[in-house]
Amino acid sequence: MTATEQNPKTYRLFHSPKDRLRLTVDDDRSYVTVKPTWAAPLSYPKLYLSLLNGKGEEIVTIVEPEKDLTQTSYEAVQIEIAKRYLTATVGSILSAKGEFGSTYWHVESNRGERDFVTQSLQENAQWLSPTHLLLIDVDGNRFEIPDTTLLDPRSRGILESIL
Amino acid sequence: MEIAPQEGSGATVSPNPLDDVLIRLVADFAEDGSFGHRTLEVTKENVRVLEIGDAPSFVIPISDIKTARNEPLVGGGRLEVVAKTGEILPILSYSLTLAAKFSEAARGIEQLAKGEPLLINMKVERVRCAKCNRLLPEKDGVCPACVNRSKTMMRIGQYLYPYRKQAWLLALMSLVTTLLNLCPPLIQGKLIDTVLKNHRELNTLWILMTCWLGVLMVNATLQILSGRLIAFLAGNIAADLRSSVYRAIEFLQLTFFDKKQVGAIASRVTQDTDRVWGFLVEGVPYLLLNGLMFLGITIFLFYTNVILAACILSPIPFVLGIGAFFWRPMSQMFHRVGQKWARFHMHLNESLSGIRVVKAFAKEDLEFGKFRGRNNELRDAGMAADGRWYTIFGAMTFFTSLGTLINWTVGGYMVYSNQMTLGGFWKVSALLGLLYGPLQWFAAVNQWFSRAMAGAERIFEVMDTESEKYGSKEIHHDIVGEVEFNNVRFGYDKSNPVLKGITFTAKPGEMIGLVGKSGAGKSTTINLICRFYEPDAGFMRIDGIDYRDIALQDMRGQIGIVLQEPFLFNGTIAENIRYGKPSASFDEVLEAAKAANAHNFVLSKPDGYDTMVGERGSKLSGGERQRISIARAILHNPRILILDEATSSVDVETEKQIQEAIGRLIQGRTTFAIAHRLSTLRNASRLVVLDKGEIAEIGTHAELMEKKGVFFKLVEAQSAINEIIGVGTGG
Repeated sequence: MTATEQNPKTYRLFHSPKDRLRLTVDDDRSYVTVKPTWAAPLSYPKLYLSLLNGKGEEIVTIVEPEKDLTQTSYEAVQIEIAKRYLTATVGSILSAKGEFGSTYWHVESNRGERDFVTQSLQENAQWLSPTHLLLIDVDGNRFEIPDTTLLDPRSRGILESIL
Repeated sequence: MEIAPQEGSGATVSPNPLDDVLIRLVADFAEDGSFGHRTLEVTKENVRVLEIGDAPSFVIPISDIKTARNEPLVGGGRLEVVAKTGEILPILSYSLTLAAKFSEAARGIEQLAKGEPLLINMKVERVRCAKCNRLLPEKDGVCPACVNRSKTMMRIGQYLYPYRKQAWLLALMSLVTTLLNLCPPLIQGKLIDTVLKNHRELNTLWILMTCWLGVLMVNATLQILSGRLIAFLAGNIAADLRSSVYRAIEFLQLTFFDKKQVGAIASRVTQDTDRVWGFLVEGVPYLLLNGLMFLGITIFLFYTNVILAACILSPIPFVLGIGAFFWRPMSQMFHRVGQKWARFHMHLNESLSGIRVVKAFAKEDLEFGKFRGRNNELRDAGMAADGRWYTIFGAMTFFTSLGTLINWTVGGYMVYSNQMTLGGFWKVSALLGLLYGPLQWFAAVNQWFSRAMAGAERIFEVMDTESEKYGSKEIHHDIVGEVEFNNVRFGYDKSNPVLKGITFTAKPGEMIGLVGKSGAGKSTTINLICRFYEPDAGFMRIDGIDYRDIALQDMRGQIGIVLQEPFLFNGTIAENIRYGKPSASFDEVLEAAKAANAHNFVLSKPDGYDTMVGERGSKLSGGERQRISIARAILHNPRILILDEATSSVDVETEKQIQEAIGRLIQGRTTFAIAHRLSTLRNASRLVVLDKGEIAEIGTHAELMEKKGVFFKLVEAQSAINEIIGVGTGG
C-alpha cells in the first residue's frame, strides 16, 4: 500500500490496548502494532510520516500527516511520536563554558532544564543548515536548536562565543 | 552482582537488603516525557515504577512476566516487559546516558522471570566530579577542570628528562643572554656621560665599543647555540611524544575508535603533541627569559631613580589588565577560527577524495558552492578575530607608548633640572624598550599555557585510556583450534544487544559457515572471535581455555582474516604478502602467492613482486587485492581462519580462482566463513544460522535443506531473487 493509493482520511489510528497504536484502514483491515516514525525528522520535521508494522516494515508513508489524517488519528500519532523521539529542543542557552576540550552546557528545553557535556564540537555540533544546529552530548543524547536566529540575544551570544 | 550506593540520577542495586529490592534504577524522564525522575524497583515478587513521593504507578508480578526488553528510541530507550499473555507493556523511558544500566535491568528481570539467579552488573558510575560537581565528560573519568596542572606539568616535564643536560645548558645560556641584553643600554649610558657629554676621554669610546662588540659576538654565538639546542630538544621531544601517543593509540580498544573519527585521533598525534612540545621547548624558555628580564630591569630602574621608575611603570597595570580582560574572549575567537579551519579542511579532503564522483555527476558547481560557504565562514571568523586582536593590540600599544612619553616627560624634566644625568636617562630609555616589548605578550602566555595543558590532557587521556587486555594470566598457548561460545551476549550499544546468548562449539579443523540476514550478528560473532570486542556476558573458550586468559598478541598471531574489502598497505606486493611474517623468505612468498592463485597475475606486472600497490592497494583490482590478502593469510599460517564475504565483490572467473585458493587455505584450520552467496558454503562442515542475534539452526548444508527451516527459506529466497535478477537483466 502506498500513500498515493489510499486516502489517509480513511485511516483510523487509535490506541488499543492503551499503550499500543493500532491502524484500521477502511474498517476493512487492521494493523495491531503500529510504530510511527518520521522519514526525515531533521530536514522535514512535520512531513513524511511513515507508519511501520510490528516487524518494522513500512505500511504507508503520509506526506502531510497533520493535513491528511483525521484530527483524532493525528492526535493518537502525536502521543506515540512523543514517546519515540526523546530529543530535546533547546529554547534558550542558560550557560555554556568551554574548558579543556569539553563544553559544559546548561539549557532550557521543551523537556525542562538540562546540564550536559559535549566534546569535540567539530564532530558533535552539527549544522544541519546555516541556522539549524544539533548538539550531541558525550552519551549520544541529542539537543536540537531548529533555528538559532530565534534564540534570545543572550543565548545567541553564548552560542556565537562557543561555536 | 556489585552492590554500591546510589548517586545522582544513576543506578544502584539493592540499597537496602532488608526491603527486598534487588534492582533500583532512577530513570531521567518523567511520565509526560519531560526531564524528571521515575524509579524502577525490582523485587523477587514484582517489578514496579515509583513516581516522585514513592507512589507506585505501575506494578506487575514477576510470575506474569515472560521476558523483558529494551526498545531503542531516538535519543534513549524504553524498558518493556512481555507478559505471559503476549501483551507488551512499556514500563519507563530513559536517555542514552542510562541505556547500559537499563539493558542490565532488562536482563535481570528476565533472569528473575525464568527463575534463574540474578547475575547482572550494576556498578554505579560517577557522573559528576566529587570536587567541583561538574558533569564528567566520561563516566568515572577525569574532571578536566580539576586536573592538577602541576601534576600535568610534571608529567610533561618527564619528556625533558632524557635531555636534561641540554635543557640545563639552554636555561643557562638563556640567563646569560638576558644579562648580555642589559649590557648595551649600560654601555650607551656610560658613553654619553663619560665621552659624549664632556667631549674627552676618546680612549674610553674605543674601550666601550670594543666591549659592545664583545657582547654582540658572545650574544650572537649564544643565540646560534641556543637555537641549535632548541632544534635538538624540539625534534627529540616532539618525536618522543608522538611515539608515545601512537604506541598508546595502537593498543586502545576498538570501542575507542568506534566513538572517535580518525581525523580527531590523528590530531592528537600531530596537533596536540605540537602544542605540548612547542610550549615546553619555546614557551618555557620564553617565560623564564622574559620573566627574569622583567624582574632585572624593574629592580635596576628603581635602583637608578625611584620616582622615575614609579612613573614610567605606571601604565603596566593597564597593559596587563587589558591582556587579562580580553584574552579569554580573544582565545575563544581564535578557537572558533580553528574550528572553521577544521570544517574547511574536512570539506576540501572529502571533495578531493571524491573527485571522480563529483565529475561523474557533473557537480563541480555544487561542490564549489559548499567550498565557498566554508571559505566564507573561515574568512568571517578570521576577520572578526583579527579585527578584535588589532583593536586590543592597538590599545596595548597606546599604554606602552605612554610609558615612553612619561619617561621623556618626567626624565626630561629631571635631566633639565640636573636631578639625573643624560647618560642615566638614556639607560632608562633603552631598558624601557626591553621591558614593554615582552610585556605585551605576557598575557598571551596564559593562553599558550592553557592550550598546552589542554593538548597534554588530551594526550594523557589517550595514554591513560584502558588499553586492550593483553591477558591477565598471559598464557602462551599454541592453538589447536577448538572454539567454544557459551551463552555469549554482546552489543555495541549496551541497550541493544546484537548477540543474545550464542552457544556452539567449533571443533579443530572444522569449517563453520555463519549464515543469516543482514544484522543477524554474523560479523559481530567474528569480531568476538578476533577479540576486537569481548562478550558482555557468557564466555568464550579456545581449546578449553577462557580466551581472555590467553596473551592477546599470542592469540591474534594465530588468527588469520580475509575480508570482503582487503586492506593492503602502501608498499610492494611482496611486502604485503610478508606482512604477517616479515621474516619469510622470498621462496615462501612465492609459494604462498601460488597457493593463492596470485602468482600469475603478479608476474604479468612489469615489476612483479616489487610492484607498488598504492595507497590501500588502489593500483590493483578487487580480485587481485583479495588474492594478495589470501597469500598473506597463507603465509601467516593461522590456526583459526576467518573469511568475511571473501568472494562477494569479484567476477565469476576470479571467484573460481579465489575459491580454489581458499580451498587450499582452509586445510587443517578451524575456519569461520560468512558468505552472501549461500551456495558457496556448501562445503562447510556445519552451518550456524543466526536470526536476530540468536542461533536458529545448526547443521550441515544437506541437513538444513532437508529440515526446511530458516536456512531453507533463506536459500529459497536467494534463488528466487537470483531468478528475478536474471529475468530483469535478460539473463
